[in-house]
Amino acid sequence: MRPLEAILAHARAGHPFEVCGVLVGRADAGGVAVVEAVAVENRERTAPRTRYEIAPEDLLRLQREARAAGREIAGYYHSHPDHPARPSETDRRMAAEGLSDGVVHLVVHVDGSGHAVPSAWVFRDASQAFEEEPLEVALPVDGEGIEGRRRE
Amino acid sequence: MAIKVQIPGPLRPLTGGAAEVEVEATNVSGLIEALEARHGGFRERLLDASGDLRSYVRVFVNDRDVRTLGGKAAVLPPGATVAIVPAIAGGGGDPEGDVLQNPLF
Repeated sequence: MRPLEAILAHARAGHPFEVCGVLVGRADAGGVAVVEAVAVENRERTAPRTRYEIAPEDLLRLQREARAAGREIAGYYHSHPDHPARPSETDRRMAAEGLSDGVVHLVVHVDGSGHAVPSAWVFRDASQAFEEEPLEVALPVDGEGIEGRRRE
Repeated sequence: MAIKVQIPGPLRPLTGGAAEVEVEATNVSGLIEALEARHGGFRERLLDASGDLRSYVRVFVNDRDVRTLGGKAAVLPPGATVAIVPAIAGGGGDPEGDVLQNPLF
């Protein structure tokens, strides 16, 4: 399954709860090509319909596995069940507090009927905001499907 | 003894793109200062205004969270591997929505 298909399927299966995961990529001469979307458990316990958290321990494990395979974590995704396909103020605030400059986030709106809409964003420290990117730029993959290379 | 430090993507502009660097340090506080000395900008990105590790930045020493090892005073064993990991969180709901959906309220 291509990365974007896997992300949309994960978002649909998880509704009405938020789901999350990482984009695993492979660096090459032209940038980073996303080769896999890896689902990660949403560790948010208080409000899992409207919040998500990727545990640093999970991220550490995924980072190690990716590096062992010659890959690296290229970004993240999460769903917004019954909320718009764009970063919320919560997303913006938490990104601003963390290490997020230049990081790709896919945000997927999903409703109870299975309708899912992806969008792609890059957080910029300079503006303290997410800036939208075309999906094919934020999520370039090899082979079939979306083509291209994310510039580094 | 050199400590290997794994650098997350958002901090690699500070290291010239390197995903891993080596510095000499015996504890986490010294490690941050050593990183700052070689790659300016680390202190501000890792520490808050009061000098504590930022809550959205996690530092692991040989896979153990330094918050369980004494924080900035955590000792680095010779040859340790340190990983700097961003905390990733957010969500579609606004704060008021969270309260309304939280059964505790």
